[in-house]
Amino acid sequence: MGGAGGPRPPKVLRWIASLLIRAPDAAFIMDDLGELYERDVAGGMPRWRARWRYGRNLLGSAWSVWGAGVRGRGRGGVSWLDFKLGFRMLVKYPGLTLIGGLAMAFAIWVGVGTFEFISQVVYPTLPLEEGDRIVAIELWNVEESRQEPRTLHDFIAWREELRTVEVLGASRTVERNLITGDGVGMPVDVAEMTASAFRLAGVAPLLGRTLQRADEAPGAPGVVVLGYDLWQRRFGADPGVVGSTVRLGREQATVVGVMPEGFAFPVSHRIWAPLRLDPLEYERGQGPALRVFGRLAAGVSLEEAQAELTALGRRAAAAYPQTHEHLRPRVMPYAKSVIDPSGWESLGILSINGFIIALLVLVCGNVALLLFARAAARESEIAVRSALGASRGRIIGQLFAEALVLSAVAAAVGLAGASLGLRWGMGILESTVLDGYALPFWFHETLSPASVVYTLALTLLAAAVAGVLPALKVTGRELAGRLRQASAGGGGVRFGGVWTAVIVAQVAFTIFCPLISLVLQREMSEIRNRELGFPVEEFLSVVLRTDEDQAMGLADDSARAERQARARATFLELKRRLAAEPRVSGVTFAATPPGASHPWRRIEVDDGGAVPPWEPPGYRVRVASVAVDYFDVLGAAITAGRGFEPADVEAGRAVVVNSFFVDSILGGHNPIGRRVRYLPDRSEARSPAAEPEPWYEIVGVVDDLRLDDGASSLIAGLFHPVAPAAAGANGMVVHVRGDPASFAPRLRRIAADVDPTLRLERLVPMEQFRREYLRFYGFWSWLIGGLTLIALVLSWAGIYAVLSFNVARRTREIGVRVALGGNARRIILAVFRRPILQVGLGVIVGALLIVLLHIITSDPGREPMAWQIAQIAVYAAVMMGVCMLACIVPAWRALHVEPTVALRAE
Amino acid sequence: MGYLGEFEQLILFALLQLGEEAYGVSIREAIERRTGRLVSSGAIYTTLGRLEERGLVRSRVGEPVSGRPGRPRKYYALRPAGARALREAYETIQAMAGGLLPRLDELARAEAGEA
Repeated sequence: MGGAGGPRPPKVLRWIASLLIRAPDAAFIMDDLGELYERDVAGGMPRWRARWRYGRNLLGSAWSVWGAGVRGRGRGGVSWLDFKLGFRMLVKYPGLTLIGGLAMAFAIWVGVGTFEFISQVVYPTLPLEEGDRIVAIELWNVEESRQEPRTLHDFIAWREELRTVEVLGASRTVERNLITGDGVGMPVDVAEMTASAFRLAGVAPLLGRTLQRADEAPGAPGVVVLGYDLWQRRFGADPGVVGSTVRLGREQATVVGVMPEGFAFPVSHRIWAPLRLDPLEYERGQGPALRVFGRLAAGVSLEEAQAELTALGRRAAAAYPQTHEHLRPRVMPYAKSVIDPSGWESLGILSINGFIIALLVLVCGNVALLLFARAAARESEIAVRSALGASRGRIIGQLFAEALVLSAVAAAVGLAGASLGLRWGMGILESTVLDGYALPFWFHETLSPASVVYTLALTLLAAAVAGVLPALKVTGRELAGRLRQASAGGGGVRFGGVWTAVIVAQVAFTIFCPLISLVLQREMSEIRNRELGFPVEEFLSVVLRTDEDQAMGLADDSARAERQARARATFLELKRRLAAEPRVSGVTFAATPPGASHPWRRIEVDDGGAVPPWEPPGYRVRVASVAVDYFDVLGAAITAGRGFEPADVEAGRAVVVNSFFVDSILGGHNPIGRRVRYLPDRSEARSPAAEPEPWYEIVGVVDDLRLDDGASSLIAGLFHPVAPAAAGANGMVVHVRGDPASFAPRLRRIAADVDPTLRLERLVPMEQFRREYLRFYGFWSWLIGGLTLIALVLSWAGIYAVLSFNVARRTREIGVRVALGGNARRIILAVFRRPILQVGLGVIVGALLIVLLHIITSDPGREPMAWQIAQIAVYAAVMMGVCMLACIVPAWRALHVEPTVALRAE
Repeated sequence: MGYLGEFEQLILFALLQLGEEAYGVSIREAIERRTGRLVSSGAIYTTLGRLEERGLVRSRVGEPVSGRPGRPRKYYALRPAGARALREAYETIQAMAGGLLPRLDELARAEAGEA
């Protein structure tokens, strides 16, 4: 202990010392550490050196105390020596360390990464000041069981009256074109937000200021706050960006601030503008969809806030029964308003952890096999220890400690990679499932303390499965009795039913698992090579949006028609300008770009000539809405009948089908003049009141034009003619000479020239769709491939070790039988019988799993079963090869044991 | 009496040398001064605890030191059994080493020459 007012070591070091040094004399040790530090400093030693000496003494002391502790407990379960022995075993058996350690590391890596992500979905925490007190308020329509997002009037009432929730704010997301100095638009999701939202988040701007209440006033100058990423990418991290002017669609706005990295409130936004909404412009229950949020007042619980809101809700329902009779306000933790897995969904998501744990147990079961073989090989050592007085618990403790060393090393590797894996997985999720949108801001790539604790639990579980199971088996029966056998050189340990089950499960797994990986690989190569019916690499695809899409509260038909007409005029002008470009050879429109997966529906065909539907009711077909010149621009040949004519758009009854439709549904018969109509969805089919859909007439057949990304087996397609901008046909397809990606900037410039508010979303070479699918498949293929490879190597090693060990155990028996004149053929048969049975049973189980998978996923057009049978045969042959190899070497050795040696030993 | 490890012997000699003033810090410094070896406080206390369990040393908690706040120090002293054990261990080494030191030096010099 230092003197009064004398120099003391840093608090954090003292805290670490108190944490690490746990012993009866800990207080005296700590005092000594402090006194030595004091003397060092008083003697003129620089503080950094005194601290370094203190730290060294601290770690040395902790090591000594811990070592003494485990030595003291050594008589019981686990001793310090066991861990040392465990480390030695890692070095002594490098193959086992490498295979078992990698397998465990992989399982822990997947396990902890999944756990972290799932925890973030189910138990989100906001990385904001008092984030756990930030709540969202919604209106819930109890009659229709849906959220009512048009809450403008309610928000104003809540802001004035609510006492239990403070700093109430609201936001809405609008899509706008951000146009900067170069005049080229970039579509962005703008968060129009009340200034209070910045106060609620409590994050200071990096540059300039955030939004202020005065910015919300009608007629106030337009302002905008930039997110960090946007500032970096679009403004080149210009420190003088504050004060510059940008355009958001048609409006001018001055940049007033830049937010720091990571700020994306309310969800995943990167640009903010003031929310200016006049309630007088909207009827109650009308207006834009709003997100309302605030912070629970000090000392107020969620329940108390809900009680106040319920009272306000009742009053509103009484005052405005027409709009509010069925509306109930409800308050919830903020993150739940964005992602809210229901109770069952949460359970489902959490249960993924269960699968991962099952994977870990399976992997560790394999490692257990290897460790068992190792433990059985050390049987004499174990028997001698037992004879010298070691209890069964003590021996189990030793083997557990050895497995724990292995699993701890694996956990360290898994944990180190988990953060990297998380970043990778989230990136894949954003680019595929979320279609390029970012995850909400509270998702992070770092591991939480809970995940680290979970890793520790996984480590213990892995050690328990891999260490204790073999230990129980090895120490199980008549351990002392086996001492005699062991000393005589024979083996007492037998691989019983449990290990047979493990071997069977492993063989089945090694047959089944590569198949999944191979199916994915094959799928990928098919997608890569499949013809879509047009030269996909020559096209650009873009979704066009105008600000008219966002106008709310103008729901009547005339307003909508007017809006559509304006949009169409813009689209056609853009098409005209593009068509004049020398590099462009065609421009057309479609609701879904070719090369992307189109929606499907069920249809029926008028009688005669159709093949019976294999999955009634009706046939599933993919449906496309395309412009009249679509087939011409794509260069798709009309092989029968005709293409679309402008009159077809107005009449709305003509459809064109693709050749796959003719082959798979009409059995190749002439389709021209045949009629088709849509069947109601299965859910609607229950309602007898549903009107039948109108009939459409097939007027033409287009050759081999697919309506999917190349990955689906559902390829029968039906095309409807539509006008640009009508019926969702705001996808534009541009046929470009040369590299389409290089034309994209030019296209942006022309679009900005035609209409600055025109937003170009997902402007990508059409080949991109295929690439994204390949990336998605690639991710899964990699994951399953990695798992499969590890499982395969591990299983082969495990099976080989166990089988060869089993045969080697019988060396003396074989030798004696040979010495007594036994028939070598019969002896070999006897030796091989059990391993072959085990592997054979595994092959059968694996084959049954494959057949089951085939039955579940079978599709017409898929490859026949013969392909899978061939695969099973190949794998069965490989497994049998491993099995033979494992038996032959020890059996050969046993057969050549000198009979005299064998008999003398007996 | 039992076997005494090298570190245990060093600690017991330090107790002998320090007399009434033997506590963690002074023992550590005595060892460092005489042998040049730096040992951790934790190692000293765990070893002393073990020796106390074996009845070779005894401990007492002293009076609070004037001018020093906080806990008083824990002082250690040799017990007769400890003294006997240490003597025995030392004699064993001496008996084994008797007359061999010149030869040891010779060997060491030869090694140095080879090197």
